[in-house]
Amino acid sequence: MGLSRVVELIEHPRKPAPLPGRPGKHLGVQALALGLAAAVLVVVVWTTASNLAARGIPLGADFLLDRAGFTVSETLLPYTPDDSNLWAIVVGVGNTLFVSALVSLASTLLGTLLGVARISDNPLVSGLALLWIEGVRNTPPILLLIFLYTLWWQALPATGVLHPLPGVLASLRGVAIPALIFPWPPTTMLAALLAAGALVATAGGLAGRFGRDRRRWALTVAALLVLTLAVAAAAARRGFAVNLPQAAGADFRGGAVITPELFTILAGLTLYTTGFIAEIIRTGVNAVPRAQWEAARALGLSPPNVLRLVVLPQMLRVILPPMTSQYINVVKNSTLALVVGYTDFMTVMGTVINKTSHAIEGTLVIVGVYLTINLAMSATLNWYNGQLAVKER
Amino acid sequence: MTFAAPLARRPAELSRRTRLRTLASHLVGSPLNLALTAAVALAALTVLPGLLRWAVLDAAFLPATPETCRATTGACWSFVLAKHSQILFGIYPFDARWRPALASAVLVGVLIYSVRPAAWRLSLTSIWAAALVAVQILMGGGVLGLTPVPTAMWGGLPITLILTVVAIGGGFPLAILLALARRSEMPAIRLMSTVFIEATRALPLLSILFIASIMLPLLLPEALLPDKLVRAVIALLLFASAYMAEVIRGGLQAMPKGQYEAATALGLSYWQTQRLVILPQAITLVIPALTNTIIVMIKNTSLVLVVGLFDLISSGKSALADPLWRSPATETYLFISAIYFVLCFGFGRFADMLERRNKVAR
Repeated sequence: MGLSRVVELIEHPRKPAPLPGRPGKHLGVQALALGLAAAVLVVVVWTTASNLAARGIPLGADFLLDRAGFTVSETLLPYTPDDSNLWAIVVGVGNTLFVSALVSLASTLLGTLLGVARISDNPLVSGLALLWIEGVRNTPPILLLIFLYTLWWQALPATGVLHPLPGVLASLRGVAIPALIFPWPPTTMLAALLAAGALVATAGGLAGRFGRDRRRWALTVAALLVLTLAVAAAAARRGFAVNLPQAAGADFRGGAVITPELFTILAGLTLYTTGFIAEIIRTGVNAVPRAQWEAARALGLSPPNVLRLVVLPQMLRVILPPMTSQYINVVKNSTLALVVGYTDFMTVMGTVINKTSHAIEGTLVIVGVYLTINLAMSATLNWYNGQLAVKER
Repeated sequence: MTFAAPLARRPAELSRRTRLRTLASHLVGSPLNLALTAAVALAALTVLPGLLRWAVLDAAFLPATPETCRATTGACWSFVLAKHSQILFGIYPFDARWRPALASAVLVGVLIYSVRPAAWRLSLTSIWAAALVAVQILMGGGVLGLTPVPTAMWGGLPITLILTVVAIGGGFPLAILLALARRSEMPAIRLMSTVFIEATRALPLLSILFIASIMLPLLLPEALLPDKLVRAVIALLLFASAYMAEVIRGGLQAMPKGQYEAATALGLSYWQTQRLVILPQAITLVIPALTNTIIVMIKNTSLVLVVGLFDLISSGKSALADPLWRSPATETYLFISAIYFVLCFGFGRFADMLERRNKVAR
């Protein structure tokens, strides 16, 4: 055997011979499994068809365009009972996404604080954090929501309002917060927001091409600053205002009013999710060895730079996958809105199915919507995770 | 505030005096810690006296009648004392309530017994079967001179426990099969398992319960249609199996290739390899994650409330509907939370203890 052959064998070792399996048997097993699944499917479809025929329910997606005819007490998107079922479903998805986004944002911020409190060396602070974390991890969220909702009606005065914070009012009608009144319609605002995001991203990207990290940050911040100033200036000229809520008996005048139902689902899910996110943050902080902090300090980096350049990137790699499943859990837990009477996507679907008896099509819509939301979320976060991953050369 | 070092000296190694000094320095050592301690103390001073007055000093305990409750401004624990058996067991006949109590004890016992790796023998299946038969006899009656009680009258804690135990116990074998199928070399098997697992995990449990309650009457012939309890059990079982399958798959992936090769070299067949070599090790590896899944399932059973089953929360709600009392909802929900907390936290600590003992034994 020549030397070149040896080298070749070392570089490209031969694959070991396949095990003496019986591919024929495997094919048989697979065919059997597929056949069984198909048989079950045929039986189910057949019974369903005969059940549907017996009850006189036609299949079809026409019902989506019929008049919805039911009211939804509060919506993010404009809605009246005269709209179609399809639009009612879209409105429901909007409410679900609205609640999920707010809860995710709030519990990420609060959870970071709570996670840091959990690893504090002050025993009082870490003990309180532990109490919160173990409390929500060991009781069902549905109980927390029912509890909060009952508490709402018991703790607040039957007449009049409370002033828990300056500018914030609370009564049995809900919570009123100051509202910002913009002189433009919502579509213009959304377009402006998207344009602003694109602009900042481009500025950051352009700066990144010049290589210097510091300059990239400076440019991004500058772009944001200019943009904010421009918007503020334009708004001031067109009559931008803050609408402070005022009490009128137990009711409010002005401001933005959050109903007790929306408040309960937001506060309850945030309390619940915060406990889980705190644990993820704690794991993330503990995953960065102490030597990394010390080494970064020894290199002469300033404390903010130690955090930004050395610790956070390593922490994020540990945190991001479990955070992804937490955010997806928030979307799933938002279905609990049902028990406090806030109308989310599932509630809308329940009403639509009850009114039209299109159970099969409704189920397909439910499965489709949740699959789409979850897959989109995990795809986005996985992409970001890929950006963070260690790039080995 | 500094972060606790991973290799900090253990308190047990320090003398009591040093420990006190460390505690003091952690409480008031740095300006931040001093401020935090002061803030916590201030908050405690404003909240605790009122809470103490409400929960203990002004609270109504005995005698457990509506009058004691109405006479006080504090918590009405007398309601919980008077109604605890209705909250725990729902509308189950009053004279026979020792039966659901015993059934609950059997269910908790079998759950605790099965977490230990030492119990993982073939006899475990027969123990589970025996426990479930015993629970069915105790709850349903009709034999051994026990009066029959229809499932519609079951409620409270036994429902929560039956749902948990059947979903976990029935879901576990299915989860093992799903995990093995997802790692199978046969594409058709792998595809079916993956589709089932991913679809189940993408849907909220509430929507699965809802779909089960509206779709099953359409999908199945009238004669095969199970009652509400069985429908919820099936939905929970499938749900639990998808989550446990992913946990077990994690354990399977952590097995070194050498284990498979060694088993093959010994001439073991695929099923022998899995049963004797791979699965015992893989499942032992993922006990902490499995414990988490079981705790999540205990919490999840509370969702059956939305399909009209009488679990702990619903029976608490119906107890509150008594017009004689002033409906002390806070106290009742705190009582139910405490039951869930004891179940979940206790189970979690028990599994932790097993895990530590297991580590020492190796």
